Amino acid sequence: MNNAQSSWAKTIIMKNFLTILFLSIIWVSSAQTTISGTVTDQSNNPIVGANVYLEGTYDGASTIEDGKFSFETTETDTQTLVISMLSYEPHYEVGDVTYLKNLNVQLVEAINQLTGVTLSAGTFEAGDNSKVSVLKPLDIVTTAGAAGDFVAALQTLPGTAAVNEDGRLFVRGGAAGETQVFIDGLRVFQPFNATANNIPTRGRFSPFLFKGITFSTGGYSAEYGQALSSVLLLNTTDTPDQEKTDIQVMSVGGGLGHTEIWGDQSLSINTQYINLSPYEALIPSTQGISWNSPYESISGEAVFRNKADKSMFKLYTGFNHAELDINQEDINFEDFVRFQLTNNNLYFNSSYKYFFDNDWTVTSGASISWDSNDIGIFENKIDAKETGSHLKLKVKKGFSSRFNLYFGAELFNVDYEEIFEAPDGFQSESAYNDQLFGAFVESDVFFSNKFAMKLGARVENTSVIDKFTISPRVSLAYQSSEKGQFSLAYGGFYQNPLTEVLRYDQTLDSEKTSHYIFNYQYLDNGKTFRAEAYYKDYDNLVKFDTELPQFDSQFNNLGGGYATGLDIFWRDNKSIENLDYWISYSYLDTERDYRNFREQATPNFAPKNSLSIVTKYWVDKLRSQVGLSYNYGSGRPYDNPNTSDFLAEKTKSFNNLSFNWAYLIDQQKILYFSVNNVLGFNNINNYQYANTPNVDGIFDRQTVRPSADSFFFVGFFWTISTDNKSNQLDNL
Amino acid sequence: MKNTFLLLIFFTATFINAQDQYSKGMEKAMQLWSEQKITEASNLFERIAMAEDDNWLPYFYISVVNTTASFGEKDEQKLTQQLEKAKEFLDIAKRLSPDNAELLVQDAMINTAWMAFDGATYGPTLSPKNMQLYQKALQLAPENPRVILSKAEWDMGSARYFGKDTTPYCKDVERALELFATFKSDIPFYPSWGKERAEQVLAECKA
Repeated sequence: MNNAQSSWAKTIIMKNFLTILFLSIIWVSSAQTTISGTVTDQSNNPIVGANVYLEGTYDGASTIEDGKFSFETTETDTQTLVISMLSYEPHYEVGDVTYLKNLNVQLVEAINQLTGVTLSAGTFEAGDNSKVSVLKPLDIVTTAGAAGDFVAALQTLPGTAAVNEDGRLFVRGGAAGETQVFIDGLRVFQPFNATANNIPTRGRFSPFLFKGITFSTGGYSAEYGQALSSVLLLNTTDTPDQEKTDIQVMSVGGGLGHTEIWGDQSLSINTQYINLSPYEALIPSTQGISWNSPYESISGEAVFRNKADKSMFKLYTGFNHAELDINQEDINFEDFVRFQLTNNNLYFNSSYKYFFDNDWTVTSGASISWDSNDIGIFENKIDAKETGSHLKLKVKKGFSSRFNLYFGAELFNVDYEEIFEAPDGFQSESAYNDQLFGAFVESDVFFSNKFAMKLGARVENTSVIDKFTISPRVSLAYQSSEKGQFSLAYGGFYQNPLTEVLRYDQTLDSEKTSHYIFNYQYLDNGKTFRAEAYYKDYDNLVKFDTELPQFDSQFNNLGGGYATGLDIFWRDNKSIENLDYWISYSYLDTERDYRNFREQATPNFAPKNSLSIVTKYWVDKLRSQVGLSYNYGSGRPYDNPNTSDFLAEKTKSFNNLSFNWAYLIDQQKILYFSVNNVLGFNNINNYQYANTPNVDGIFDRQTVRPSADSFFFVGFFWTISTDNKSNQLDNL
Repeated sequence: MKNTFLLLIFFTATFINAQDQYSKGMEKAMQLWSEQKITEASNLFERIAMAEDDNWLPYFYISVVNTTASFGEKDEQKLTQQLEKAKEFLDIAKRLSPDNAELLVQDAMINTAWMAFDGATYGPTLSPKNMQLYQKALQLAPENPRVILSKAEWDMGSARYFGKDTTPYCKDVERALELFATFKSDIPFYPSWGKERAEQVLAECKA
């Protein structure tokens, strides 16, 4: 390419040397004034190469080695002298040309989002060209073991715990319900597929409709609330690159996608059909389960976008219908227990953003979801319906590159209704309605490229509880060296008690956490190191006096606890050619008293040590990407009723090594193969003890294991596009 | 009558003078560029652009100068600054001259500079964008030899990567070379690069 560039330059020069010969120049004689001076930075170091000129004229010069400039002009009277230089704020001097002599100009450094300090405590971002990005969207989906589920890929980041049988995000000692998911700033009410106990779930959304993913493991912005531990923010793509059709043929189903572009408008549709029957017929899952009818689902997503000069409109729709029918082992019953589930989920999310003059941006949006679960356990039927909606208005005003102000308000509405029906005709109903109002204000202040602050607060009022809460949020960042920075964050977070509790008792208070985070980050050309220490204080956790929340439980807010730990992340994609790897380690010390705990203890979902190693190697000769991921979680606590101690015993540690291979057959066809748990570790999720002791007075137990140790996946992906070039590698 | 005549001369003189200033400035900037005085050249193009704020060419050249300087640049910070500047001024040029194939080719060139710096990072996101840009440029200017040459080179690169035959694209290069002979623009300083490159590529084709 260098050759092309220089020959291009030469051609231009040659041609124009000829042109110059034909030029006739008419000189208008007039008096010349010399303009001169020196340009330095704030520490008086000379700046070389700054552009100095009189506005609206050709008269100017570049500063030379000692920061000096000098040029002549025929202009007279009052003129504006502009001094501009990359990475500095432009400087203006207005005055009569005769006075623009021997000037001493000091340029102020511009706030540089690329190399300057960033407010990164608690945040993992996956996006393009962003400094805080530790992962790119592509990385997320090409991670071995993730099988295309971006939530599974996020579980290779520090701060998350491997809770193999669940599939959702458990962040820093928090339960799964403490994480909220947002698409384009709007709440997703049911982000995960419905599933049975001990069968891990997956995120509902296909990762490739999103351009950026931000995963905050704590101390997040005042814009978001109702999450005690963590938020996951997904942003949909603004404009797709091209029209194309994607065809997916997989060992577990198939999919069809299409993108159509009309000028500034575009529509992407993606549908998928999943059926585990053929796989289960070939390699049956046998550990503690038998399928009557394996998981089957049909889902579709569509995004419509309209981009105008100053505005952006997006409408996202997702539909999902899933069914499963399973028999599961249970120590309390002689026979397997049958569980049937039919889930329907419909979700709309629309947002409109308008850029006004003077750096005002207004974003408005609404999301609504309808979710229904028809569940059968034994002969009992449960029919649950939830309707959730979210309205939001957010305003941003940029005063300068150093000061931004955000404020907004939002309204959530949740309607929940559940009908329980026993075979003998007994019926019970539980329901609640909640309206939650939230408002927030936040500002980003960049004092310099070294020191920045985010300051915000959020107020909420929820109708079920009818109390106002105020949560302050603060984040500070200081760049200690060119590549390293320290950050601090503090925040208060409130969340309503979960639906399973609220539907029986609406006199409870919000649960509360406070986060204290200290972070160090070092970035060096393809290498990232992060260490984050945190302390999290839990208060007002809901307790009840029955095994599970039910209509006659006694509830209170007397629970509480803490979580503290250290998260380490290291990534390097430069040192070894074609190899990209990252290592995450989390140390977690947590205890809590909640639900029906009889004392404060470490909950079952909180292993003390978690480790993930993810590697990806590009084999150029084979046009293949080969990936290996290893996950480790130390033993998780379980309660043995044969001892007097509570939650005192631990399972053996969790180990998983996964492998994947993506082979580019040609520009448009990819063959993909992956195996989860290649080495077939016999992992143990938990132990289930009998409700009543046996004749010897001992509580019997059974081991709860994954339904199968390993899982295989084969897929063929074909993209048909007008340019014959793109493929679905970034969708895997 | 005499007055009108004088007035006409005066206006013409002013007009020619303004023209001159532009040509002189552009010549000077081109010369600085050929002397590898990148900053000075870019600064001068920038001054011209600011004074001639409805002409896309100086903006285009700011973009070109900063892009070409980025090839081979190892310092990520410097590269980023240059390429962001290149993009910023190209965007202004695009506003002044919408649907201009030369600008789309330059846009692809900026992406190529990113990919040349770090193919693993920028390749997956930028290469489909480049494909789109070349496609659109070809629609707008099917007879522009620079568009045909750039697209052919891009196609050859992809074909080579996938171990496929590159010879079908040699025809495009030949066609580009023919068109270089006849392609003319009345606009002074209109982009004119590419002929030598086309000859080079064609020589490789025949080798």
